[in-house]
Amino acid sequence: MTGLPTSWRSVLPHLTTPLPDDRSPDHVAGSGIGVNLPMELVRQSIQPREYWQIPDEVLDAYRKFRPTPLWRATGFEEAVGAKVPVYVKYEGGNISGSHKLNTALAQAYYYKRAGVEELVTGTGAGQWGTALAAACALFGLRCTVFMVGSSLARKPYRGVLMRMLGAEVLASPTGTTKVSRETRGQGNSLSLAIGEAVEYAAGKPGAAFCIGSGETYSILHQSVIGIEAIVQLAELDADVDAVVGCVGAGSNFGGIALPFHAEAAATGARPPRLVAAESSSTPKLTRGVYAYDQTDATGTGPLEAMYTIGSSYAIPDSHSAGLRYHGAAKLVSAMRHAGQVDAVAVDQVEALEAGRRFTVREAVLPAPESGHALAAAARLAADGAERGVLVCVSGHGYLDLAAYQQLLDGELSDQAPAEEALLAAVAGLPRVEGARL
Amino acid sequence: MSVEAQDRVTVTRAVKTVVIAESRLSIDPDAVSGDEPLNGELLRVNSFGFVGMLVRLEDDLGVTLPDDLFVGRTFTTVDDLVSVVLDAVEAAR
Repeated sequence: MTGLPTSWRSVLPHLTTPLPDDRSPDHVAGSGIGVNLPMELVRQSIQPREYWQIPDEVLDAYRKFRPTPLWRATGFEEAVGAKVPVYVKYEGGNISGSHKLNTALAQAYYYKRAGVEELVTGTGAGQWGTALAAACALFGLRCTVFMVGSSLARKPYRGVLMRMLGAEVLASPTGTTKVSRETRGQGNSLSLAIGEAVEYAAGKPGAAFCIGSGETYSILHQSVIGIEAIVQLAELDADVDAVVGCVGAGSNFGGIALPFHAEAAATGARPPRLVAAESSSTPKLTRGVYAYDQTDATGTGPLEAMYTIGSSYAIPDSHSAGLRYHGAAKLVSAMRHAGQVDAVAVDQVEALEAGRRFTVREAVLPAPESGHALAAAARLAADGAERGVLVCVSGHGYLDLAAYQQLLDGELSDQAPAEEALLAAVAGLPRVEGARL
Repeated sequence: MSVEAQDRVTVTRAVKTVVIAESRLSIDPDAVSGDEPLNGELLRVNSFGFVGMLVRLEDDLGVTLPDDLFVGRTFTTVDDLVSVVLDAVEAAR
């Protein structure tokens, strides 16, 4: 029987080259330096240590919903014409409805220990906001969430749930922050919501901004998914040669996939293909460039080395708000650049159709984001994988039924970026040294 | 020399060494005064490099810097950083 992991597992010791340093904005002399990140999160981002003990308080919280289930999805295999087994790791069975709670709990714990009184964040689909609201409620912190307004309007019950957990929820753009007034709601909606959160936290004593996906420490916390999966597959005497997760910035993909890379590196085995499934409307890993780009709309943060379609690119609206982010995490990007991560782009029609088939045959309703991973897994299981496919269903879709309604009504469409628009959005970005252009 | 005084010498040198490296300078640590701004005309430390410096100082000095020293706090000069690291060294003793 699978137990709860007591340590997170970092892939940093197994990278072939160190992560590229962040680039700071232009030097402005005279200002003091502040660090709004607890030291343990700093260490987890930098130190090439493989195992990090999970604090007891976080373990106690994990026990409420972990280990999460893993099963062979025989009905889905049949529905998609799979030639090899498809195994599913399901992360939707907690209050946030997604994997996001794995890092929200850890971050809330570390910030609380550091003396922070309020956590502030931006969220797209609302899964991260809900996870952070729940974690703050558990650890006694105030919580403020800037949620992409169009997403909040489409999924008002996300707002209800966050408020029920004690969070203040603001629809972004709010018009009350400098960054929202300057952009007038134009551009990338998630990076604007994040930018509003950054600005709000910076101006409020006792508050700290935190983020749920792209940071190296977030991906570390998500490693519980892959660590459990390795043990669960062994218990089933199952073998996979492909591991799939969807990618917004990269935390659920990193969580399911990177422990397999670490395990293979540690044992000298050949790693499975690690396949990142992204939305064809935000194709950073398949059509983007490896360059230094902003992580949010304020422009005050560091420029990080990432595969990006440009932080200025106005990503079209879609039902997968969790994938509507312009760049991939620097850790995932570095591994993509090193050839250790594959990527595929999936249209939302194909994604939701995969989600529908999965619902019918597995009696589990996946989030539209997870539908992208299921579609990619279906492709691999039908053609490409030789022994088996593991796919992470990162969240449930109970608050996304409007999307499925559109699928059933034949009203869904896709909006892949035009080549000229992508070229314009990345034109001024400094490329990472040695990167293919 | 007392243990405390030895600690101060060791920590001051370690801090100056890392801020010089972070600023991409090749100068003698003794040429940097305690009231030198971390982010000024000579030293060019920014908040993104600063966190990496903290981890390097932990490794170099074998100390653990506490979380609550940093959140919401501003560091202006070399001595500000020396003071915090020194507190951690003394707390560990």
